[in-house]
Amino acid sequence: MTGRERVLSALKRIETSRVPIGEIGGGYTDVIIQAVLGDKYDLGPDASFLNHQRIREILGADIVGARVTGPPVEMVGIHEDWGTETFRDYWGATHTQPPDATVQLVEPIAHSPEELESWRPPDVRDFDSSLVNRWKNTTDFFVLATLNAGFDLGYELLGFERFMMWTIQARHIMKQYYEKLIETNLTLALMSAEAGADAILIADDLAFNTGTFVDPDYLRSDYFPILKNMVAEIKRQGLPVFFHSDGDLKHVIPDLIDCGIDVLQSCDPNANMDIPTLKGEYGRDLAFMGNIDVDLLANGNVDEVKNTTRNLIHDARSGGGFILGTSNVVASYCQPENLKAMYAVAHKELK
Amino acid sequence: MSSDSIQQAIIMGNVASISADVNQLLSEGVNSQMILDEQLLPGMAIVGERFKHNEMFLPQVLMSAQAMQTAIDILKPHLAGNSEARKRQTVIIGTVKGDMHDIGKNLVRIMLIGAGYEVIDLGVNVPAQRFIDECLQHQAAIVCLSALLSSTMNNMQEVVQAFRNHPDLNDTKILIGGAPVSREFSQSIGADGYAPTAPAAVEQVQHFCEQ
Repeated sequence: MTGRERVLSALKRIETSRVPIGEIGGGYTDVIIQAVLGDKYDLGPDASFLNHQRIREILGADIVGARVTGPPVEMVGIHEDWGTETFRDYWGATHTQPPDATVQLVEPIAHSPEELESWRPPDVRDFDSSLVNRWKNTTDFFVLATLNAGFDLGYELLGFERFMMWTIQARHIMKQYYEKLIETNLTLALMSAEAGADAILIADDLAFNTGTFVDPDYLRSDYFPILKNMVAEIKRQGLPVFFHSDGDLKHVIPDLIDCGIDVLQSCDPNANMDIPTLKGEYGRDLAFMGNIDVDLLANGNVDEVKNTTRNLIHDARSGGGFILGTSNVVASYCQPENLKAMYAVAHKELK
Repeated sequence: MSSDSIQQAIIMGNVASISADVNQLLSEGVNSQMILDEQLLPGMAIVGERFKHNEMFLPQVLMSAQAMQTAIDILKPHLAGNSEARKRQTVIIGTVKGDMHDIGKNLVRIMLIGAGYEVIDLGVNVPAQRFIDECLQHQAAIVCLSALLSSTMNNMQEVVQAFRNHPDLNDTKILIGGAPVSREFSQSIGADGYAPTAPAAVEQVQHFCEQ
């Protein structure tokens, strides 16, 4: 059985001899890939593809994440405090990456609701979907094309506090903003479908560990109806839709089901998102992916990882609808031995 | 002008009305400390409670904090001139070196301002020495450290050690928070407290002040 077939079985609620396992997005940072591959780490012109393929083969992963890619970012200056290059993305926001740190927003796409109202998203129709196509045509992995929607990307481009305030101060303009972002991401989803993606993953963080950032009623009135249209259009292409959000989503899971989401990914135990419990309540309508704490892979030992993984498989595998993975992606600070242990257990715990 | 209307303006995050309301009370001769203690702070306390119980959400808390900041900016000159005014505690806050995540840290900052503290926000990726320097400069007795990543939470220990080894700052109260942090970790690095949520951070800071 191929990785693709195993994941599709899980979505059909068929329990396979071993549970499907994998990560979303890039899945594994380069530090982790180097540590796992050792001297098999490729340095040639096709290194990125080959290394991502090899780590999945070595670990026995079933899934690969891939994106439709835009033009290279445009360098626009040097950050005053950090001395690092600033670059403008194709949405129009400027970022920088300080040393040993994640990318930071420098200039938002708008400083006022009025500016946001006149903001126009990029034309993405000439973006490159060949990577999605390559994974589909040359491997047996389940190809999960990754893109965004309107909420998470919305605050990434505006800055978190500004975005949150404007949900109250400029409600109508924010709704238009979600529509613009979602329309653009829907175009990327349709391009991914055409390129052969097996499913679409919408990455859209809505919550922190104690609940949603905004009132669920606000999401129901101003955001979920737009998301629902996006999901419906993707499903018209015959593709299942995965949804990634960190945090505690329990108050909005029925809404995500109503939007047509097929698989909820992350399920962070730190946010009380326990897959066996969630399966008991929503398993008929929704499949679940994730649930292994990234911090456990970082700070735990091999025995702890093995026990946690074994227990999760035992409690969550019955009747399919479950894909094992981390609750985010395998960050560079995770211990490679713990990662290998997690995947090894998945391959040993057979039905 | 009733006290209720100022408290309501805080709860509703009504920045537009609060300036006029506070200025009117001042013009009527109401003591500035009384406005702060009996109207603004109880209003923000209600906001904190409602946030804690998911009855208010981040956008509403941000609006309330903005209203609070507006009111405090108006009161500040009057508070400074009031010899009986209780000095507001200064809290230093920042995300430790190597970590650029600031949503949780910003939320704590907002709620501390709302609770009436003077907050010096050092931003993200803050080295240990900067916490020391700013603490000395602002004579702060409380420092809040944030980290989201497992890889950077260990830098909290470096900050705690720097404070414990400093002859003038070794009794500074240090509170830590962030997704990977736990009470056990807090104890293991010698911090004074751990807060799993923003409201819990405010409660812990209040607890430090009462000690």
